[in-house]
Amino acid sequence: MTTSPQATDDARSWRGGRVRWARLFRQFGTLIGFIVIVAFFSWQKPDTFMNVRNWVNITQQVSILGVVAATMTIVMVLNDFDLSVGTMASMVGIVAGTLLRDGYMLGVALGLGLLVGAGGGLLNGVLVSYIRISPFVATLGTLTMFNGLALYISGGTTIFGRAIPTALSDFGRGGIYLGIVDGQRITLPYLTIITLVVLIVVWIVLEQTVFGRRLYAIGGNMEAARLGGVRVRMLRLMAFVISGMGAAIAGLMLVSRLASANPTQGDGLMLRAIAAVFLGMTMSEEGEPHVLATMLGVLILGVLANGLTQMQIDTYIQQILTGGIIVLAVTLSSLSRR
Amino acid sequence: MKRTMYLTLVIALVLAGFAASAVSAQDGDAPSVVVMTPWLAQPGTQLMVDAFTEYAAEKGWDVQVIDTAEDISALISRMEDVALQDVDAIVINVDPTQISAGLAAVAEAGIPVFGMDSGTDPLLVANVTSNGYAMAAETATYVVDRLNGEGSVVMFIFEPYPPVQKRGIIAEAIFNNTPDITIVDKITPSFDAGPLEGARNAMEAVLLANPDPGSIDAVWAAWDEPALGALQAIQAAGREEEGIVIVGIDATPQARDAISMGGSFEATVAQDFPGIARQVADLVEAYLGGEEIVQSTYYVPTKLITAANALDE
Amino acid sequence: MTMVHPPPTPAPAESTLLLHITGANKAYHGIPALVDASLTLRAGEVHALIGENGAGKSTLIKLMAGVLSADSIAMAVRGQPVNFREARDAFDAGLRFIHQELNAVPTLSVAENVFLNQRYPTRAGVFVHWRRLHRQTRDVLAQLGITHLAPGQIMARLSPGDQMLVKIASAFVDANPSAAGERAVAIYVMDEPTAALSTSEAARLFEVIDRLRASGCAILYVTHRLDEIFQLADRVTVLRDGRVVDCVPIEGTTAAGLIRMMTGRDLQQVYPPRGPDVQVSERVLLDVRELTTRAIHGVSFQLYENEILGVAGLSGAGRTELLRALIRADRVLAGTVSLNGAALQARSPAEAWDQGMAYVPEERRSQGLVLSRSISDNITLPHLRHLARRGTFLNHGRERRTSAEMSEAVRLKAEGVTQATWQLSGGNQQKTVFARAFARSPQILLLDEPTRGVDVGAKFDIYTLIRKINAQGTGIIMVSSDLPELIGMCDRILILRDGALVHTVQTEALTENELLTLCYGELSDDNQPASH
Repeated sequence: MTTSPQATDDARSWRGGRVRWARLFRQFGTLIGFIVIVAFFSWQKPDTFMNVRNWVNITQQVSILGVVAATMTIVMVLNDFDLSVGTMASMVGIVAGTLLRDGYMLGVALGLGLLVGAGGGLLNGVLVSYIRISPFVATLGTLTMFNGLALYISGGTTIFGRAIPTALSDFGRGGIYLGIVDGQRITLPYLTIITLVVLIVVWIVLEQTVFGRRLYAIGGNMEAARLGGVRVRMLRLMAFVISGMGAAIAGLMLVSRLASANPTQGDGLMLRAIAAVFLGMTMSEEGEPHVLATMLGVLILGVLANGLTQMQIDTYIQQILTGGIIVLAVTLSSLSRR
Repeated sequence: MKRTMYLTLVIALVLAGFAASAVSAQDGDAPSVVVMTPWLAQPGTQLMVDAFTEYAAEKGWDVQVIDTAEDISALISRMEDVALQDVDAIVINVDPTQISAGLAAVAEAGIPVFGMDSGTDPLLVANVTSNGYAMAAETATYVVDRLNGEGSVVMFIFEPYPPVQKRGIIAEAIFNNTPDITIVDKITPSFDAGPLEGARNAMEAVLLANPDPGSIDAVWAAWDEPALGALQAIQAAGREEEGIVIVGIDATPQARDAISMGGSFEATVAQDFPGIARQVADLVEAYLGGEEIVQSTYYVPTKLITAANALDE
Repeated sequence: MTMVHPPPTPAPAESTLLLHITGANKAYHGIPALVDASLTLRAGEVHALIGENGAGKSTLIKLMAGVLSADSIAMAVRGQPVNFREARDAFDAGLRFIHQELNAVPTLSVAENVFLNQRYPTRAGVFVHWRRLHRQTRDVLAQLGITHLAPGQIMARLSPGDQMLVKIASAFVDANPSAAGERAVAIYVMDEPTAALSTSEAARLFEVIDRLRASGCAILYVTHRLDEIFQLADRVTVLRDGRVVDCVPIEGTTAAGLIRMMTGRDLQQVYPPRGPDVQVSERVLLDVRELTTRAIHGVSFQLYENEILGVAGLSGAGRTELLRALIRADRVLAGTVSLNGAALQARSPAEAWDQGMAYVPEERRSQGLVLSRSISDNITLPHLRHLARRGTFLNHGRERRTSAEMSEAVRLKAEGVTQATWQLSGGNQQKTVFARAFARSPQILLLDEPTRGVDVGAKFDIYTLIRKINAQGTGIIMVSSDLPELIGMCDRILILRDGALVHTVQTEALTENELLTLCYGELSDDNQPASH
């Protein structure tokens, strides 16, 4: 040979190392980040952060977001968005609150609330899958509609006080008594239980049913899924209906927790739900949303808010840090994907 | 690889930042007080919180301010978190009926809660506020007097928020009790682009519907932002010379500025926000000192602001 | 330079050796894709790189382009060791890549696409100097002998062949010595550039390649078309299973020899014969009457049990659309289809699959596969309800068994059925789509270009499969642009023109020329597609 390029054995082993690290980062970077955050707060606040009572608290604090994020995951599996979940939650709360104020039975009010959620989801689904408006535009439109409806039905006022039955407000505060740990009374909050139920149902639907598998196929390649025998339109419609119902459940949980119904009280849920799903997506090699990963995202948001408050960090700084951590997680995952 | 190292460094710095600010927030045995509100972006809340922080510093307390950006559910969560902390008192600026779950958690932890322009609730030690009925009466009677009891008035109201809602009730009663005053329109401004913009758009529509000079004599607004919006609409329509009297409530800096120019915007009422904050701080101090607080609501006097005293502070 | 006896592996003088790769190794998830591969490119040669799908051609090219990092490699350009860590490095070293897929910007003009990677000429350093841009574009196109394209034409309006020429012109612009100076481009890598070209366009491309060769460039030419190799190449490197089988001068080799090197066996027959006991029966399986959609008009025909029915026609004649109408992917405006004497009630592909139709679409990547999902997920997609517990809950074990069984039946090469399909070679991706179609023993199998972009060995596998499934009684309708394939595999061929059925011919004793003539009808054959 007239030329003999230099040996590259060193480079090989070095690259091999990089590849292994990159995969580790990609798959578990967000989980590692979560553990680091938890470890950090435990170190800073050994007495009040890492105890059963606080963790039970955190699960209750993220319970409402958890429901919305779980059902949002279903829509995002399809590569779609549902921007209307926040105002939907507000509107359902107002509907239920108004019915309660007017003396309807609790069951009727909650049932009709859920029905309103399903109906709103159906509207989103029809707009997106049958009329073929992009999900972003369609749900942005219904977001505004639901907001207007909530304000209109309520006349802009907050429904509170005797209008909300104590059964409902006690539910939002109560739980199942578990025992005494470290001298503290521990109860498993009802709201947490609802979220666990929703989580399990969504997990079964997405990971263990024909329906879920087909949703992932649509999200991966809509045309191939259609030609491969998937009823794309019907399934997309159903995903939005489920998302609407998730928002409705969250809206009712909010009424229970706040013991009041305000026409804008659920509006903030949408952005945080989407952020949680994105945080979870960083854990998937294919960038697919999975509901358990979404829950990790929800927990990250919840633990950050809880821990930073305990550390008495100023609110504005809290927001900067939370946003920064989301951006950091997604950046790391996309860098390691290269 | 290099990038990963940079990013690791960034994380390390961020965490170090947490630690540093946490250490600085925990010095000594000084009483620690947490101020909690979803409304920190509101000018009035801001004034009170700033003043309270100042008085607290004079008294040597540690103060932490928690704002949840209009999210009341999050405020309850943060109250639950604070309940786990070694905190001596909590000051809230929010309607207590909406956060009863949070108040319950805090009460269980035995932490006293004080309302700062909040509302009355059995779980509060006391609430310090201005008398909303009195403020509305003051501006409404100002309008009646300026019009010599005769003319048409546009009202800007907001019913969802009880402290503002009660102002509208009083003003309406006073106008209705004056035989020759007519209420042309009662408007709830849209908040989509802020109440100022919403009020301006609404006022423009009213002006178009009442084109004759003198067909509108006064604008009564339940707080300053719609008053400013109405002022802008009147200026834009070129109807400044008609002498339409505008009044607001709260005396924000912008409102004071507008009033000092001597135009249509003639009067507003200043809640004494620093006064409220001082009263709260004094109450907290008294309570921590072991005094018993019996009164559930404290009213701090308000002051009518006109061109004469708009720029005093 | 002195003439010596040609050594067994020609060792060129250093000055003419433009690229030298030795010891290239790359494995994906532990599966070797390239093992100790080597390649030399000399100035002034066209070097063909051939091999079956999955043999490692794409991997080798990606290593050269710097878009993939090797496990180990020694590479030298003009005798200088290089280490490409990203695409820019390869670009700077003077390598240019022309891929099969068009990645032009369809909404921009020809000129804008030609100069896409360059700074546009400007006035005052800010405003694009359109006149100069167009003049330079015309110059470049003229240098390549392309005179029928205007710089201002919008890319999307051009034929795929013309778009490919624009892309080649774009790579050529980068080569402009005035801009590149010392780093003058010397190496072009072309990956199946004629895949979308007509014969006349391909001929134009070959002229361009000749011109590049004469100017001292080296061209690495990747193709599945053996006839092009004999027409163009000076040397050929053959890859099989990630290893270089041989690198030989084109003189003295034969097509049969190359196929043997690629497949490692002799291909006695390209098209396996119909089994001796399989006869097309009299029984009508599918009866299509006056089928009309937006693209096809009143098409009527019958498909018999055990029959393989071909569909021929020029592109745009409605071949794909006929299959799409049958699988109900396009809206049927009129006409009836009956399956086994009963009317086909399906209104969507989902219902068509459930009634015993199966479909292998034309584009396996965009229409066939969900690339992010596993082989198993792709195979079972239309059959999920069938495989699930109570039609609702996934039965993972059964899915895995079924897909493993089907993968074996189609001789799919993969780590396992849980491997993601984007990691597979083109041939194995196609086999996945086939495995899906076979999984529930369909009554009717619709195949659209079943062997496009598939190498010789995998083609034979696929033909064998088609025969096997046909022997079980499945009726097959097969669209193909590969005329010998249609003649070799089908019993009858439908010929479509402008969305209408114009002829039905028996394949016995049919020649390729006769078939082509029938496709064109009375048109001149100026634009006939490149022969395969």
